[in-house]
Amino acid sequence: MPVKLGLFLCDCGGSLKNIDFPKIRGNLGKLEDIAFVEISHNLCLEEGEKAIASRILRENVNRVVIAACSPALCEDKFMRLLEGLGLNSDLLSIANIREQCSWAHKGDVTEKALEIIRMAINKARLLQGVERGEVPVNKEVLVVGGGFSGMKSSLELSRLGIRTTIVERESTLGGKLKELEGFYGLRTSPNEMFASMTRMIEEDKNIEVFTSAEVARVQGEVGDFAIRIRSGEKESSQSFGAIIFATGYRTEILPQDFELKPGGNIISQQRLVEMLQAPEKLARRPETIGFVVDFSDENSRLPTLSALKNALAVKDKLGSEVYVFCKNLKVDSEGTEKLYREARDRGVVFLKFEEKPRIYGEDGRVTIEARDVLLGEEVTLLCDLLVAEEKALPPEGTKALSSMLNIETDSQGFYQDENVHLYPVASGRKGVFFVGGCRGSLDLGRASTDIASAVGSVHELLSPGGAMVEVEKVKADSQKCRACLTCIRVCPHEAIRLVRVDSERWVAKIYDLACDRCGICAAICPATAIKFEGYSDEQILAEVEAI
Amino acid sequence: MNKSTVVIGGGISGITSALELANSGFRVYLIEREAAIGGQAASFCCKATEVCTKCSVCLVPQSLAKVAVHPRISILTHSMVAGLSGEMGDFKVEVLRKPQYITPERCIACGICAEVCPTEPKAILPPSPEAIPYCYVIDERLCLRLRGEKCNLCQGICPTDAIAFDLKPERQELSVGAIIVATGFEVFNAREIGSLGYGRYPNVLTGLDLERIFNREGYLKLPTNGKEPKNIAFVQCVGSRDESHGYCSQVCCKYAMRFARLIKHQNPDAQVTIFYIDLQTAGKGFAQFYQECRESIRFIRGVPVEILPTPSSELEVRFENISEGKVERETFDLVTLSVGIAPRKDSWDLARILGTNLADYGFFDTKETFNSVETNVEGIFLAGTCQGPKDIPDSIAHGIAAAERVMEVLEKCQ
Amino acid sequence: MTRENKKIIAFCCAESAYRAADRAGRLRIRYPDNVRVIRIPCAGRVSVLHILKAFEKGAAGVLVMGCQEGACRHLTGNIRAKERVKYAKDLLKEVGINGQRVKMVNFGPDMAQKFAREIEEMVEKIKEEK
Repeated sequence: MPVKLGLFLCDCGGSLKNIDFPKIRGNLGKLEDIAFVEISHNLCLEEGEKAIASRILRENVNRVVIAACSPALCEDKFMRLLEGLGLNSDLLSIANIREQCSWAHKGDVTEKALEIIRMAINKARLLQGVERGEVPVNKEVLVVGGGFSGMKSSLELSRLGIRTTIVERESTLGGKLKELEGFYGLRTSPNEMFASMTRMIEEDKNIEVFTSAEVARVQGEVGDFAIRIRSGEKESSQSFGAIIFATGYRTEILPQDFELKPGGNIISQQRLVEMLQAPEKLARRPETIGFVVDFSDENSRLPTLSALKNALAVKDKLGSEVYVFCKNLKVDSEGTEKLYREARDRGVVFLKFEEKPRIYGEDGRVTIEARDVLLGEEVTLLCDLLVAEEKALPPEGTKALSSMLNIETDSQGFYQDENVHLYPVASGRKGVFFVGGCRGSLDLGRASTDIASAVGSVHELLSPGGAMVEVEKVKADSQKCRACLTCIRVCPHEAIRLVRVDSERWVAKIYDLACDRCGICAAICPATAIKFEGYSDEQILAEVEAI
Repeated sequence: MNKSTVVIGGGISGITSALELANSGFRVYLIEREAAIGGQAASFCCKATEVCTKCSVCLVPQSLAKVAVHPRISILTHSMVAGLSGEMGDFKVEVLRKPQYITPERCIACGICAEVCPTEPKAILPPSPEAIPYCYVIDERLCLRLRGEKCNLCQGICPTDAIAFDLKPERQELSVGAIIVATGFEVFNAREIGSLGYGRYPNVLTGLDLERIFNREGYLKLPTNGKEPKNIAFVQCVGSRDESHGYCSQVCCKYAMRFARLIKHQNPDAQVTIFYIDLQTAGKGFAQFYQECRESIRFIRGVPVEILPTPSSELEVRFENISEGKVERETFDLVTLSVGIAPRKDSWDLARILGTNLADYGFFDTKETFNSVETNVEGIFLAGTCQGPKDIPDSIAHGIAAAERVMEVLEKCQ
Repeated sequence: MTRENKKIIAFCCAESAYRAADRAGRLRIRYPDNVRVIRIPCAGRVSVLHILKAFEKGAAGVLVMGCQEGACRHLTGNIRAKERVKYAKDLLKEVGINGQRVKMVNFGPDMAQKFAREIEEMVEKIKEEK
């Protein structure tokens, strides 16, 4: 069908005085494929839209160019208008003659406006329109990790009617819940929480659990991930619409950080918790207990929180003298400052160092020497027990899984690249989410928020009836594709795979639901086989042509 | 069952909740007190140096643009909640909309009205560049007509008949299933600490002032002479971790360090000093940044007690240098007070209308610990800093979390 | 015609630089009017071909404007663009065009002043060469 173009010019209430609109109309109206040039004062208002609609219908144009304010402001509105008229909304091209022309320069800018509009016209001529279609999606969700975050994600998804499968590496669910002493400010103990969550999961028909199992392979894309689950010798394959990683974290005392190896009188927080659970079993009540945090690095929200919580528990259960050595007390989590104040009021002494404290062990006791900056003095503390900070680290297997997913980790090795557009819980690969400890949200408050936002995002993604997408907006031409894999390597969203076309040939296929329409692949394809409708090479160069 | 939702507050948390719900098929009424949505974060600036420093401010305009055109979101600006009845699944929310004189639905931001406005300064102001809706605003205190005089110039010339003066406040009732409170925070008023001289000495600024200066100008200049400052101090914990604010505001260490790096990036000769008690450097993507900061920024563990002007119009900061154990003084040409996040003073009014509880210091209270979105009233949820201090990523996460909870309860009620 | 009569093509990422350019207009920050903005979804969409073609069609300078490093919505788009700009620079040098006429610039969406400054700088550069 030959191009028949309608051009609307908006002078924004007559305010764009440095553009000579009649001149533009005179100039462009002569172009053969332009059916009309209409000057309006208020295209963005209801009456303007009505005028556009009636003119388009009357003249039966198949391309629309609008010269008006920034498309950031008006594009969606006009696209919807076109859709309402039964035209494909991608057959629209907008020239930004207000923000980037009239308002940006003093003096007459008719020539520039004319050129910008020509750019838009050139582009519009080549626009082809893209159909919208539904992509069927699998509504089951895979949850990797059966600790607090994994269990809670599954339970919340179930409440929204979404079925999940939990894959847990250990032989039982629960993760760290089985080890924790207590939550500050929460009457429920971790053990009770564990018991009630496990019971709810057992009773929930929407949740299936694989224990002693791991994810062996991840393929596919959002709506249809093909997952291989390994359980002992057995492997099974299943399809899922989305994946939530909740693999938690592990803690470790880093021996190189301490002069003495842990053991004896240098104990972990975990060991202290065990002692506190059965104080009557202790041979001797420790008189003095020291805590050290910020020893290895300063990413110490979790060690600080544990130290404060356990310091208070020591006061409750053992009544010992408690000293906390830290560099900068990390209080930037909800309730931590309150906890700190309570500890201080209960007689816990806080000492702050700049230089790493020196730690010696002698005669069954531990000596800590540090320069306390608050006192401005060297302090030597002889204590019965030194509770070492436990550093939170990414769990075993994070590297392997992230390379399997082809997703970057952050600078500390936790999941999720440090890119603000992915926050809070998304990844570059659509449909893959990270919650809780495995992405570095180590406190329960932040982990809970993570979970709810992942569940919300999954629900949005797998909304009922499948997802509406632009069909083949970015498409690899199977005739031109030489299966060189370049696009697959550069795609930041893992949206491209090779598929077989016949017994001989494989070609790249771009998955509409996973693709985020950036065009990186189209710019790099050596065979120029990838076409990004709306931003194709021809369309971009047609704009360039107009200068 | 009513599947629509009212979101009170159009800041980053509120718009995130609204988008999340609208994208999942729910109808949303977004109620905003001001003339434009966007809240505090919309006036903040990108703090990238040669690389992104993860302040997340750029996420705000993106979400705003999506809210503005979403067919399932109705934005009610200049509005507030005046009453509530009913219960979860069937709330009746009474909304009071103040007259705006320039109708956002009609204003095309051509600016002709401001050109003809006869007052000096003009009584009609252009919107801030990212305002949504992008609509001019009349300042009631300056407008001749609203002060009883006979001026009619703007109304006469407006090409879209967007201006009307004979408007009365409007009341409307919305029937909704659930409510999200996302009213945000107030910046701590640094004038309350008189000894630091905010409001008295023009070169004492707050973190919020800095956000706005960078947002508007793109670089930092001294309010007194417009020159680039050479020696800048940041004072941490102003309005945080004290007796009346017994919490950490969670954002100030990070924004101060990001600003410090930005200033150093733009002017490598500038000297930047940060006075602190405990640096909060944990968190995703921050540990490495902090290490880089240590190379170019001076950190002093100490609390400034007083700021006084010197005869050469610099600022003398008297502070307790904790590490050295003595009181010292040093001069700077610009001092920034890293003010914290305080609860909104009007939270009490809203809490009374909604029947929700307020917690310590005046933030909205949650039903239980670690469930930071549910309130004591079924069907009313919290999102963002109205519940407690949060940075932008945490506010976004909280906004989605609140929306998720709304979906869950409304789905269940069906 | 424009005063300089020499056009600069700016490929602007819709997420960042394009917003910055809009913002410049809204704040009435003035900059030379010989820039022509082409809106693209991500700086990573720009290929070497686009840059070279722009010069072939008579552009005096080409700016590729994307998000700040580490803040690309598509994670690596701006890095890819940077590589391509560098590559195009080398190619231009080979055919005797000053490589400085093509430049990669990183933006936050609120950096209106920077947008104006970059256009001015490019205009200056082109003037110097005349």
